[in-house]
Amino acid sequence: MLSKSPPVVWRSRIYRYRLIGCKCKNCGRVHYPPASACPYCSSRDLEEVELPRVGKVLSYSIVYAVDSDARERSPVILGLIDLGVTRIIAEITDANPEDIKIGSQLEAVFRRIGEDGETGVIIYGLKFRPVI
Amino acid sequence: MCAARPESSVGIRGWGVYIPRFRISMVEIAREWGWSDYQWKALGMVERSVAGPDEDSTTMGVEASINALKRANINPSDIGAVFFGSESKPYAVKPSATIIAEVLGITPLTMASDLEFACRAASEGLRASIGLIASGMVKYALVVGSDTSQANPGDVLEFTASSGAATLILGGSSGSAAYFEGSFSYITDTPDFWRREGSPYPRHGEGFTGEPAYFKHIVEAVRGLMDSLGLKPSDFNYAVFHQPNGRFPLKVGEMLGFKAEQIKLGLVTPIIGNTYNGSALIGLARVLDYAKPGERILVAPFGSGAGSDAYSLIVTDSIDESRERAPTVDYYIKNKVMITYSQYSKFRRLLRVIRE
Amino acid sequence: MAYITGASMINIDRHYDKSIRRLASDAVFKLDSSSVENVDYVIVASSISYLQEPQLDLASYIASALGLRNARAFNVEAGEVSGATAVLMAKSLVDSRLASKVLVVGVDKLSNYPSAVTYKHISLLNDSESESLYSIGLGGIAGILMRLYMETYKVDRLTLAYWPALMHSNAKLNPYAMLRFTITPEKVLDAMPIADPITLLDTFPIGDGAAALVVESKPRDALAEIVAVESAVGYPSITLSPDPLRIDSLELAYSRLTEKLDLKRIDVIELHDSYTISAILQLESLRLAERGKAAEAVANGYFTVNGDGPVVNPSGGLKARGHPIGATSVYQVAEVASQIAGIFPGLKVPDAKSGLVVSVNGFGSNSYVVYLRGVE
Repeated sequence: MLSKSPPVVWRSRIYRYRLIGCKCKNCGRVHYPPASACPYCSSRDLEEVELPRVGKVLSYSIVYAVDSDARERSPVILGLIDLGVTRIIAEITDANPEDIKIGSQLEAVFRRIGEDGETGVIIYGLKFRPVI
Repeated sequence: MCAARPESSVGIRGWGVYIPRFRISMVEIAREWGWSDYQWKALGMVERSVAGPDEDSTTMGVEASINALKRANINPSDIGAVFFGSESKPYAVKPSATIIAEVLGITPLTMASDLEFACRAASEGLRASIGLIASGMVKYALVVGSDTSQANPGDVLEFTASSGAATLILGGSSGSAAYFEGSFSYITDTPDFWRREGSPYPRHGEGFTGEPAYFKHIVEAVRGLMDSLGLKPSDFNYAVFHQPNGRFPLKVGEMLGFKAEQIKLGLVTPIIGNTYNGSALIGLARVLDYAKPGERILVAPFGSGAGSDAYSLIVTDSIDESRERAPTVDYYIKNKVMITYSQYSKFRRLLRVIRE
Repeated sequence: MAYITGASMINIDRHYDKSIRRLASDAVFKLDSSSVENVDYVIVASSISYLQEPQLDLASYIASALGLRNARAFNVEAGEVSGATAVLMAKSLVDSRLASKVLVVGVDKLSNYPSAVTYKHISLLNDSESESLYSIGLGGIAGILMRLYMETYKVDRLTLAYWPALMHSNAKLNPYAMLRFTITPEKVLDAMPIADPITLLDTFPIGDGAAALVVESKPRDALAEIVAVESAVGYPSITLSPDPLRIDSLELAYSRLTEKLDLKRIDVIELHDSYTISAILQLESLRLAERGKAAEAVANGYFTVNGDGPVVNPSGGLKARGHPIGATSVYQVAEVASQIAGIFPGLKVPDAKSGLVVSVNGFGSNSYVVYLRGVE
């Protein structure tokens, strides 16, 4: 898969590792991941900002039909998470489906998010877990 | 006592640990492989931690380092050296230290490397960091000990080999939570435990890991430290030794003249297992979670192959302010979910799976 | 003016024995041979085939396979809206007089690999810089949206199960549909969970398909006129959308159409129900139901032949007709044109004079609407 090319994995590492998004200097809105122009007002005057690492669940899904490389983690809980300044969709880890409710508080946590087989690059990034 | 020892200008600015929440009990492992209960009772074990399916020594190292950074309360870019000690590196070639440094915002103006010396690689990083800071070459150094220890399925090692990480951030002694009084290393070529290139599991010499390896090296390092500082066992409030099981630390303490009460607080292996590079350092972190200003701590990591370092630390008045900033060792000990042997096999990829 | 003078489809299925070119020729050869004479352009709409049966410059090879060696040919790849984009291209070529006859071939292949691999391919319809990187499939996002919808509007799961039940009942009559059996709403709830609260019966089946359209400047023997094709891009992810339960791109595309045309009457609609929740949100984006009320309207039979609303998805929709990704909206246009011409071989919409095709990529990164009308 293309997403496992080393240059692709490398150039997206900062926003995967540190939850770096962009704030528009024109309209003030924040988006993630960083884009070249504001998705709301089209301004190109953007600055990188670190997003809050804590948010709450707006909605979630418990996914049973997962990739074979996610079978160890099945069912995978996916959350639409409100970070206040913007939202993010991410896997929720360290939780059982019954632990997650709409409104649950979550925090970002650094985990393996994929790998290119047994010999290719490992992709690290942020997932979310119940606040500790 | 020698006032000009370089160690005394260096202290621990922050400490942090991470222990994954999954635990497997000794009973579960024994039942799976038909061991008698005597086998694990002789090791002084109850249960041990298991890293989750999306965790490895790098992710655990990040977690521990985030906790240490919270306690140190410093600018990450002021860290000039990152050492990652592990014997379960996710990449055989490609450093984990760079990943951790990038995640924490320490890059790019820093040293960073992975060290390998079985369970004492991180301790080597610690001693090297003392030198780097005392010499003025770097302001702060971050040392991670992290392992998702492997064990050949069915081997006795499976009772103890667990997962966890500890990070220490070192800096100048002023403002540190505890400063070093002295350090002492003792190294020989002893093949008591090893893993050959390409082999999935380590092998060991059973009893040979004991007397000539663990006991000999720790005893020599600790005696060397105490002699050089003019200290005796009763001068220490706490003693933390590398802890491959629940018994060895008590025995080596006894050989050196330490009492069980000095060792107990820092002895976590019976309930979380041997976290290898995290082992003695998680024990130290637990002591720092409770220690009072003025108290003296002995720490003696050991690594097969073989070598041991002994450190003496004095707790300062600053310790209380940083303590609350991150979760304690006890938090992680209590935060647990028991799993079965089959879950453990799946999480640690002991099963042969063909991916689509 | 552009007219559809020919439309053909093959049955959607796992055509293990057919290559991408063979699927295309099976669809095209169902047209009258005279209708592909003197074709100026062949436009091929395909998407997942580039991952499952890789062939670059696919259109030229398909044109050759069809025996149209002297035609001009190009590809359109736009994920799930590939077909509608190809129809826009065809209309533009004809309207601009660059061509007088264009053959649009929608063809796609999803059955060359086990489903886990195919779902990975399909997940690339999502934003590859966020969702796809995390192996987040379409199903997970649909599950998030459905739970959000149920929570926001207090709609229960059973009410939302009437949509797939209706689609199966419609598809039973469609000879080109993949799933030609009826199901009850209760059975949807009892089915295997895919991405809870979504079950297997809330989603489209994996199948291959091909459909063809002949678009000409002359109205002679035409099935329908392509009156207008409109579209709009939207937010790349529901995380950015101010209200994830609104499909901004579809609202904009549809308002661009209604600003241009007086749409007093739409008799038949084929919309993009990749998931039950997709259908519900599209019905609300088209203002065919109030927000939070579409599922109830579906359950009450509003969108059936006997209902008060337009007939929606008489083909059985993506849910039951099937969803060969890049070919799907060519099927939809062929179905609506056939309804208007009174020759659709499945559930007929009596006296249909006009119809709308709705095509959406993912959950709104791109939306198309195609408005068709009968020829006077």
